[in-house]
Amino acid sequence: MSPVVLIRGVAAVGDLHGDLLKSKQALRLAGLIDSQDRWSGGSSTLVQVGDVLDRGGQELKILYFLEKLKRQAVKVGGNVITMNGNHEIMNIDRNFFCVHPSGLDEFQNWAGWFSTGNNMKQLCDGLQKPKDLYDGIPSTFPGIKQQYMNGFRARIAALRPQGPIATRFLSKNLTVLVVGESVFVHGGILPEHVDYGLERINEDVRDWITGSRETVSSDLVRTRNSLLWLRKFSNETAEDCDCSLLEHALSTIPGARRMIMGHTIQRGGINGACNNRAIRIDVGMSQGCINGLPEVLEISEDSGLRILTSNPSDHQNRHDLLIPEQHGPREVEVQA
Amino acid sequence: MESLLAEATAFGNEDANASLEAKAQKALECPCIQNLRSGPCGSQFSAAFLCFLKSTAEEKGSDCVQPFVALQSCIQTNPNAFPKEVLENDEAETQEKPSEDYKIIPPRWAVEPTTSPKTKL
Repeated sequence: MSPVVLIRGVAAVGDLHGDLLKSKQALRLAGLIDSQDRWSGGSSTLVQVGDVLDRGGQELKILYFLEKLKRQAVKVGGNVITMNGNHEIMNIDRNFFCVHPSGLDEFQNWAGWFSTGNNMKQLCDGLQKPKDLYDGIPSTFPGIKQQYMNGFRARIAALRPQGPIATRFLSKNLTVLVVGESVFVHGGILPEHVDYGLERINEDVRDWITGSRETVSSDLVRTRNSLLWLRKFSNETAEDCDCSLLEHALSTIPGARRMIMGHTIQRGGINGACNNRAIRIDVGMSQGCINGLPEVLEISEDSGLRILTSNPSDHQNRHDLLIPEQHGPREVEVQA
Repeated sequence: MESLLAEATAFGNEDANASLEAKAQKALECPCIQNLRSGPCGSQFSAAFLCFLKSTAEEKGSDCVQPFVALQSCIQTNPNAFPKEVLENDEAETQEKPSEDYKIIPPRWAVEPTTSPKTKL
């Protein structure tokens, strides 16, 4: 069996929003996973730019799946890097405005088994008594329909700072990432964020999620102009992209030539604005969004950009980026 | 579960030359898990526990889905599989007083409709 892998490079996938099937379709399309859902991306690096949570009912399954892929990837010299989107922060903050009903079921089921596991541990002599999952969480919230109460309590328990899911998965997320000439961020970066310090931003958010820091600045993750909510560079109409501000922001990051963002659905698929300095990769693929066709951005070692798409019809306004799928997208055989 | 496995495995590991099978059997005898081996799901627990310890799969335990699902099903059908006093959530006593401002922002579909007929948002 000869392993087929992508050209060594970076692949980026946008917002997944609780849709496991679409997530897998995207990764398979890019040759990153095989028919058995195992990592087949060799030494490639996959970057997921955030928003795994909300709008769907397979949020936990995606988190576990990406974690498993990462372990497989690392073994063969590849990597999977996951990032925070605004929806991750909303959930940590108990903002469940965009939760799907099935997202309550998945977390409630998880919490049931997590508690059973904790209870079984209590039966083992010599083990420290595990902390109650629901410690400090009210048993009821006024104005909420009774049938959803336990679902919300499970989500809080899992996703609050120090919560088991927040700690295991979300605390591993980056908020900003620079790979070669590409800057990855869910919403966008402004010069003031760069001034604050990219490393410091990642640390602040991580420390807040693990509970070693009381809070994290809203200017970084919650406000309109934060790294996770900014839309100045991702407005669907390319003319609305603030190119001079983008240039300015990029010029403050040494070596940076382009920003790769999710957050704003691009109905026409992945595209570039401002001479491909802004690459927008949220295609709204989740059924909870616009059920868009999965697409993945690939950045090869020589910095060439390609769109791996399942869309057979061409897109007039993105010829320079587009490479349609041709029976397994441009795979290259390598010797094992 | 990691520390439990470590303890039970250490218990079974005293003889470094013993086979994986023998080590797993010995680990099962560790007093630390005797409570889990008793009751209606004890045999399922033992089977899953043994399978995991004996697993040589690259991802240890990944070949043990069946016994673990069997254990899950057993716990599901036997809510009292393990001694009740231990399994009961003693939330009441451990819970800190939640602060007044402990709020959530709910999705629209989860909000109890208000009785006032005027609100039509």
